Amino acid sequence: MAETGQILNLRRYRQLRNAVVVWLTLVVLGAFLLRIPRIHILEHTARNLYFHVPMWFTLMAAALVSAYHSLRYLQSGDPIRDLRAREAARVGIFFGLLGLATGIVWARFTWYLGTSLWWNFDPKQSFVVIQLLIYGAYFVLRSAVEDPEKRGRVAAVYNLFAVVTMPFLLYVLPRQMESLHPGAEGSPAFSDITHPIMRLVFYPAVIGFIGLFWVLYTQRVRLALLEQRVEMLQATMLEAKS
Amino acid sequence: MNLQVLSDTTEAGLATPYDTIWATAAVPTKPPQGIERVMLAEDKLYVVLAVVLIIWFGVIFFMFRTDRKLDRLERALQERIPEANADLRP
Repeated sequence: MAETGQILNLRRYRQLRNAVVVWLTLVVLGAFLLRIPRIHILEHTARNLYFHVPMWFTLMAAALVSAYHSLRYLQSGDPIRDLRAREAARVGIFFGLLGLATGIVWARFTWYLGTSLWWNFDPKQSFVVIQLLIYGAYFVLRSAVEDPEKRGRVAAVYNLFAVVTMPFLLYVLPRQMESLHPGAEGSPAFSDITHPIMRLVFYPAVIGFIGLFWVLYTQRVRLALLEQRVEMLQATMLEAKS
Repeated sequence: MNLQVLSDTTEAGLATPYDTIWATAAVPTKPPQGIERVMLAEDKLYVVLAVVLIIWFGVIFFMFRTDRKLDRLERALQERIPEANADLRP
Protein backbone atom coordinates (compact mmCIF):
# COMPACT_ATOMS: atom_id res chain seq x y z
CA MET A 1 0.00 0.00 0.00
CA ALA A 2 1.33 3.41 -0.98
CA GLU A 3 1.96 6.20 1.47
CA THR A 4 -0.81 8.78 1.80
CA GLY A 5 1.49 11.48 0.40
CA GLN A 6 1.84 9.56 -2.85
CA ILE A 7 -1.92 9.52 -3.41
CA LEU A 8 -2.89 12.92 -2.02
CA ASN A 9 -1.15 16.25 -2.29
CA LEU A 10 -1.14 17.10 1.42
CA ARG A 11 0.37 20.53 0.93
CA ARG A 12 -2.43 21.52 -1.42
CA TYR A 13 -4.93 20.03 1.02
CA ARG A 14 -3.69 22.22 3.87
CA GLN A 15 -3.70 25.36 1.72
CA LEU A 16 -7.24 24.69 0.54
CA ARG A 17 -8.43 23.84 4.04
CA ASN A 18 -7.17 27.19 5.37
CA ALA A 19 -8.68 29.01 2.42
CA VAL A 20 -12.05 27.33 2.99
CA VAL A 21 -12.06 28.33 6.68
CA VAL A 22 -11.39 32.00 5.85
CA TRP A 23 -13.80 31.95 2.89
CA LEU A 24 -16.70 30.47 4.90
CA THR A 25 -16.11 32.92 7.74
CA LEU A 26 -16.52 35.77 5.25
CA VAL A 27 -19.63 34.10 3.85
CA VAL A 28 -21.24 33.90 7.31
CA LEU A 29 -20.36 37.56 7.96
CA GLY A 30 -21.80 38.58 4.60
CA ALA A 31 -24.89 36.48 5.16
CA PHE A 32 -25.78 38.34 8.33
CA LEU A 33 -24.43 41.82 7.63
CA LEU A 34 -25.50 42.46 4.04
CA ARG A 35 -28.77 44.35 3.85
CA ILE A 36 -31.38 42.58 1.75
CA PRO A 37 -34.73 43.75 0.40
CA ARG A 38 -37.74 42.79 2.44
CA ILE A 39 -39.52 39.70 1.15
CA HIS A 40 -43.08 38.99 2.16
CA ILE A 41 -43.51 36.12 4.70
CA LEU A 42 -39.80 35.22 4.36
CA GLU A 43 -38.53 38.31 6.21
CA HIS A 44 -34.98 37.61 7.47
CA THR A 45 -35.29 33.88 6.76
CA ALA A 46 -34.49 34.78 3.14
CA ARG A 47 -30.92 34.66 4.43
CA ASN A 48 -31.30 30.90 4.77
CA LEU A 49 -30.75 30.88 1.02
CA TYR A 50 -27.03 31.22 1.83
CA PHE A 51 -27.03 28.10 4.02
CA HIS A 52 -29.85 25.76 3.03
CA VAL A 53 -29.46 25.83 -0.75
CA PRO A 54 -25.65 25.31 -0.85
CA MET A 55 -26.22 22.07 1.12
CA TRP A 56 -28.03 20.64 -1.90
CA PHE A 57 -25.45 21.95 -4.34
CA THR A 58 -22.85 20.24 -2.18
CA LEU A 59 -24.81 16.97 -2.13
CA MET A 60 -24.95 17.05 -5.92
CA ALA A 61 -21.24 17.86 -6.22
CA ALA A 62 -20.45 15.00 -3.81
CA ALA A 63 -22.66 12.60 -5.77
CA LEU A 64 -20.89 13.56 -8.99
CA VAL A 65 -17.46 13.05 -7.41
CA SER A 66 -18.60 9.71 -6.01
CA ALA A 67 -20.05 8.58 -9.35
CA TYR A 68 -16.89 9.65 -11.19
CA HIS A 69 -14.74 7.48 -8.95
CA SER A 70 -17.18 4.58 -9.24
CA LEU A 71 -16.91 4.84 -13.03
CA ARG A 72 -13.13 4.89 -12.84
CA TYR A 73 -13.23 1.92 -10.50
CA LEU A 74 -15.16 -0.10 -13.07
CA GLN A 75 -12.56 0.88 -15.68
CA SER A 76 -9.42 0.29 -13.65
CA GLY A 77 -10.31 -1.86 -10.63
CA ASP A 78 -8.05 0.37 -8.52
CA PRO A 79 -9.16 -0.01 -4.86
CA ILE A 80 -8.39 3.69 -4.21
CA ARG A 81 -11.25 4.59 -6.58
CA ASP A 82 -13.68 2.46 -4.60
CA LEU A 83 -12.53 4.05 -1.38
CA ARG A 84 -12.90 7.56 -2.80
CA ALA A 85 -16.39 6.81 -4.14
CA ARG A 86 -17.42 5.51 -0.71
CA GLU A 87 -16.13 8.50 1.23
CA ALA A 88 -17.55 11.06 -1.22
CA ALA A 89 -20.97 9.40 -0.88
CA ARG A 90 -20.67 9.39 2.91
CA VAL A 91 -19.85 13.10 3.17
CA GLY A 92 -22.50 13.81 0.53
CA ILE A 93 -25.23 12.13 2.60
CA PHE A 94 -24.11 14.18 5.57
CA PHE A 95 -24.68 17.39 3.61
CA GLY A 96 -28.01 16.05 2.37
CA LEU A 97 -29.16 15.44 5.94
CA LEU A 98 -28.10 18.96 6.90
CA GLY A 99 -30.04 20.31 3.92
CA LEU A 100 -33.11 18.38 4.99
CA ALA A 101 -32.87 19.48 8.64
CA THR A 102 -32.36 23.14 7.73
CA GLY A 103 -35.24 22.89 5.26
CA ILE A 104 -37.58 21.49 7.92
CA VAL A 105 -36.82 24.38 10.27
CA TRP A 106 -37.18 26.94 7.49
CA ALA A 107 -40.50 25.45 6.36
CA ARG A 108 -41.85 25.35 9.91
CA PHE A 109 -41.69 29.13 10.27
CA THR A 110 -42.73 30.11 6.75
CA TRP A 111 -44.93 27.49 5.05
CA TYR A 112 -46.44 26.03 8.21
CA LEU A 113 -46.78 29.25 10.18
CA GLY A 114 -49.48 29.00 12.81
CA THR A 115 -50.15 25.30 12.18
CA SER A 116 -47.49 23.77 14.48
CA LEU A 117 -46.65 21.40 11.60
CA TRP A 118 -43.05 20.31 11.07
CA TRP A 119 -43.61 17.84 8.27
CA ASN A 120 -46.46 17.64 5.80
CA PHE A 121 -45.07 15.35 3.03
CA ASP A 122 -44.37 18.19 0.67
CA PRO A 123 -43.26 16.52 -2.62
CA LYS A 124 -39.88 18.26 -2.61
CA GLN A 125 -39.10 17.03 0.90
CA SER A 126 -40.48 13.54 0.34
CA PHE A 127 -38.44 12.98 -2.82
CA VAL A 128 -35.33 14.25 -1.09
CA VAL A 129 -35.85 11.68 1.66
CA ILE A 130 -36.17 8.95 -0.98
CA GLN A 131 -32.93 10.12 -2.61
CA LEU A 132 -31.12 10.00 0.74
CA LEU A 133 -32.51 6.50 1.37
CA ILE A 134 -31.18 5.43 -2.05
CA TYR A 135 -27.74 6.60 -0.94
CA GLY A 136 -28.22 4.91 2.43
CA ALA A 137 -28.86 1.64 0.59
CA TYR A 138 -25.45 2.08 -1.07
CA PHE A 139 -23.83 1.53 2.33
CA VAL A 140 -26.18 -1.33 3.21
CA LEU A 141 -25.19 -2.98 -0.07
CA ARG A 142 -21.51 -2.49 0.67
CA SER A 143 -21.76 -4.11 4.07
CA ALA A 144 -23.60 -7.10 2.58
CA VAL A 145 -20.80 -8.15 0.20
CA GLU A 146 -17.74 -9.74 1.80
CA ASP A 147 -15.27 -9.97 -1.11
CA PRO A 148 -13.65 -6.54 -1.65
CA GLU A 149 -13.42 -6.81 -5.45
CA LYS A 150 -16.98 -7.98 -5.85
CA ARG A 151 -18.16 -5.38 -3.34
CA GLY A 152 -16.37 -2.64 -5.25
CA ARG A 153 -17.96 -3.64 -8.55
CA VAL A 154 -21.50 -4.11 -7.21
CA ALA A 155 -21.31 -0.85 -5.22
CA ALA A 156 -19.93 1.07 -8.22
CA VAL A 157 -22.77 -0.09 -10.48
CA TYR A 158 -25.35 0.75 -7.82
CA ASN A 159 -23.75 4.15 -7.25
CA LEU A 160 -24.10 4.99 -10.94
CA PHE A 161 -27.79 4.11 -10.68
CA ALA A 162 -28.13 6.32 -7.59
CA VAL A 163 -26.64 9.38 -9.31
CA VAL A 164 -28.96 8.96 -12.29
CA THR A 165 -32.07 9.12 -10.04
CA MET A 166 -30.85 12.38 -8.49
CA PRO A 167 -31.91 14.92 -11.15
CA PHE A 168 -35.36 13.33 -11.34
CA LEU A 169 -36.01 13.11 -7.62
CA LEU A 170 -34.48 16.49 -6.77
CA TYR A 171 -35.65 18.50 -9.79
CA VAL A 172 -37.93 17.02 -12.40
CA LEU A 173 -40.59 15.31 -10.26
CA PRO A 174 -41.07 17.92 -7.49
CA ARG A 175 -41.34 20.67 -10.10
CA GLN A 176 -44.29 18.99 -11.74
CA MET A 177 -46.25 18.71 -8.53
CA GLU A 178 -47.92 21.19 -6.28
CA SER A 179 -45.31 22.07 -3.70
CA LEU A 180 -44.70 25.00 -1.45
CA HIS A 181 -41.02 24.86 -2.33
CA PRO A 182 -39.81 27.60 -4.70
CA GLY A 183 -39.43 26.38 -8.26
CA ALA A 184 -42.39 24.01 -8.07
CA GLU A 185 -45.72 24.19 -9.83
CA GLY A 186 -47.32 27.47 -8.82
CA SER A 187 -44.31 28.74 -6.85
CA PRO A 188 -41.78 31.26 -8.11
CA ALA A 189 -38.32 29.93 -8.95
CA PHE A 190 -34.96 31.09 -7.68
CA SER A 191 -34.45 33.72 -10.37
CA ASP A 192 -37.85 35.30 -9.69
CA ILE A 193 -37.53 35.86 -5.96
CA THR A 194 -33.81 36.35 -5.47
CA HIS A 195 -32.66 39.94 -5.53
CA PRO A 196 -29.35 40.39 -7.38
CA ILE A 197 -27.66 41.57 -4.18
CA MET A 198 -28.25 38.19 -2.56
CA ARG A 199 -26.23 36.48 -5.29
CA LEU A 200 -23.23 38.38 -3.95
CA VAL A 201 -23.25 36.06 -0.93
CA PHE A 202 -25.10 33.07 -2.38
CA TYR A 203 -22.58 32.03 -5.04
CA PRO A 204 -19.57 32.36 -2.70
CA ALA A 205 -21.56 30.31 -0.14
CA VAL A 206 -22.05 27.52 -2.70
CA ILE A 207 -18.32 27.53 -3.48
CA GLY A 208 -17.45 27.66 0.23
CA PHE A 209 -19.61 24.70 1.22
CA ILE A 210 -18.38 22.62 -1.71
CA GLY A 211 -14.89 23.51 -0.44
CA LEU A 212 -15.90 22.32 3.02
CA PHE A 213 -17.06 19.06 1.43
CA TRP A 214 -13.70 18.73 -0.25
CA VAL A 215 -11.87 19.22 3.07
CA LEU A 216 -14.01 16.69 4.97
CA TYR A 217 -13.85 14.25 2.06
CA THR A 218 -10.05 14.47 1.87
CA GLN A 219 -9.84 13.87 5.64
CA ARG A 220 -11.96 10.75 5.28
CA VAL A 221 -9.89 9.50 2.34
CA ARG A 222 -6.72 9.94 4.41
CA LEU A 223 -8.36 8.07 7.26
CA ALA A 224 -9.48 5.23 5.00
CA LEU A 225 -6.00 4.93 3.46
CA LEU A 226 -4.51 4.70 6.95
CA GLU A 227 -7.10 2.08 7.87
CA GLN A 228 -6.07 -0.02 4.88
CA ARG A 229 -2.42 0.18 5.82
CA VAL A 230 -3.14 -0.91 9.39
CA GLU A 231 -5.16 -3.85 8.10
CA MET A 232 -2.36 -4.85 5.74
CA LEU A 233 0.19 -4.56 8.54
CA GLN A 234 -1.93 -6.77 10.73
CA ALA A 235 -2.29 -9.32 7.94
CA THR A 236 1.46 -9.51 7.36
CA MET A 237 2.11 -9.78 11.09
CA LEU A 238 -0.32 -12.67 11.33
CA GLU A 239 1.35 -14.35 8.37
CA ALA A 240 4.78 -13.95 9.95
CA LYS A 241 3.55 -15.52 13.18
CA SER A 242 2.02 -18.62 11.59
CA MET B 1 -54.32 19.30 6.61
CA ASN B 2 -55.68 22.80 6.73
CA LEU B 3 -52.93 25.28 5.88
CA GLN B 4 -53.66 28.88 6.58
CA VAL B 5 -53.11 31.21 3.65
CA LEU B 6 -51.35 34.39 4.65
CA SER B 7 -53.12 37.24 2.92
CA ASP B 8 -51.22 40.28 1.81
CA THR B 9 -51.91 43.32 3.92
CA THR B 10 -50.02 45.97 1.97
CA GLU B 11 -52.01 48.30 -0.22
CA ALA B 12 -49.91 47.77 -3.30
CA GLY B 13 -50.37 44.03 -3.18
CA LEU B 14 -47.70 41.60 -4.37
CA ALA B 15 -46.90 43.26 -7.68
CA THR B 16 -43.23 42.46 -7.10
CA PRO B 17 -41.99 39.50 -5.09
CA TYR B 18 -40.17 41.77 -2.68
CA ASP B 19 -41.15 45.11 -1.22
CA THR B 20 -38.71 47.93 -0.75
CA ILE B 21 -39.72 48.91 2.77
CA TRP B 22 -38.16 47.01 5.63
CA ALA B 23 -40.74 47.34 8.37
CA THR B 24 -42.52 44.88 10.55
CA ALA B 25 -45.80 44.16 8.80
CA ALA B 26 -48.79 42.68 10.55
CA VAL B 27 -48.84 39.51 8.47
CA PRO B 28 -50.07 36.77 10.85
CA THR B 29 -53.69 37.18 11.82
CA LYS B 30 -53.35 35.83 15.36
CA PRO B 31 -50.52 36.40 17.83
CA PRO B 32 -47.86 33.68 17.59
CA GLN B 33 -47.93 30.98 20.25
CA GLY B 34 -45.22 28.89 21.90
CA ILE B 35 -42.06 28.37 19.87
CA GLU B 36 -43.27 30.72 17.16
CA ARG B 37 -43.23 33.60 19.63
CA VAL B 38 -39.47 33.14 19.95
CA MET B 39 -38.68 32.31 16.34
CA LEU B 40 -40.76 35.04 14.72
CA ALA B 41 -39.23 37.84 16.80
CA GLU B 42 -36.82 40.26 15.07
CA ASP B 43 -38.41 39.60 11.67
CA LYS B 44 -37.67 35.86 11.94
CA LEU B 45 -33.93 36.35 12.32
CA TYR B 46 -33.75 33.50 14.87
CA VAL B 47 -34.80 31.02 12.18
CA VAL B 48 -31.56 31.87 10.38
CA LEU B 49 -29.67 31.42 13.64
CA ALA B 50 -31.26 27.97 14.10
CA VAL B 51 -30.28 26.95 10.56
CA VAL B 52 -26.68 28.11 11.03
CA LEU B 53 -26.49 26.26 14.35
CA ILE B 54 -27.79 23.03 12.75
CA ILE B 55 -25.00 23.19 10.18
CA TRP B 56 -22.42 24.10 12.81
CA PHE B 57 -23.35 21.20 15.11
CA GLY B 58 -23.56 18.89 12.09
CA VAL B 59 -19.97 19.69 11.14
CA ILE B 60 -18.88 19.22 14.76
CA PHE B 61 -20.67 15.85 14.90
CA PHE B 62 -18.90 14.76 11.73
CA MET B 63 -15.55 15.89 13.12
CA PHE B 64 -16.10 13.85 16.29
CA ARG B 65 -16.91 10.75 14.27
CA THR B 66 -13.69 11.12 12.30
CA ASP B 67 -11.89 11.61 15.59
CA ARG B 68 -13.31 8.39 17.01
CA LYS B 69 -12.14 6.48 13.96
CA LEU B 70 -8.66 7.94 14.40
CA ASP B 71 -8.65 6.87 18.05
CA ARG B 72 -9.51 3.33 17.03
CA LEU B 73 -6.70 3.24 14.48
CA GLU B 74 -4.20 4.58 16.99
CA ARG B 75 -5.22 1.94 19.50
CA ALA B 76 -5.01 -0.81 16.88
CA LEU B 77 -1.49 0.29 15.97
CA GLN B 78 -0.37 0.52 19.58
CA GLU B 79 -1.92 -2.64 20.96
CA ARG B 80 -1.79 -5.15 18.18
CA ILE B 81 1.34 -4.12 16.39
CA PRO B 82 3.73 -2.93 19.09
CA GLU B 83 6.73 -3.65 16.84
CA ALA B 84 5.45 -1.35 14.13
CA ASN B 85 5.90 1.78 16.22
CA ALA B 86 8.47 0.63 18.75
CA ASP B 87 10.93 3.23 17.46
CA LEU B 88 8.38 6.00 18.08
CA ARG B 89 8.47 5.47 21.84
CA PRO B 90 10.92 7.52 23.90
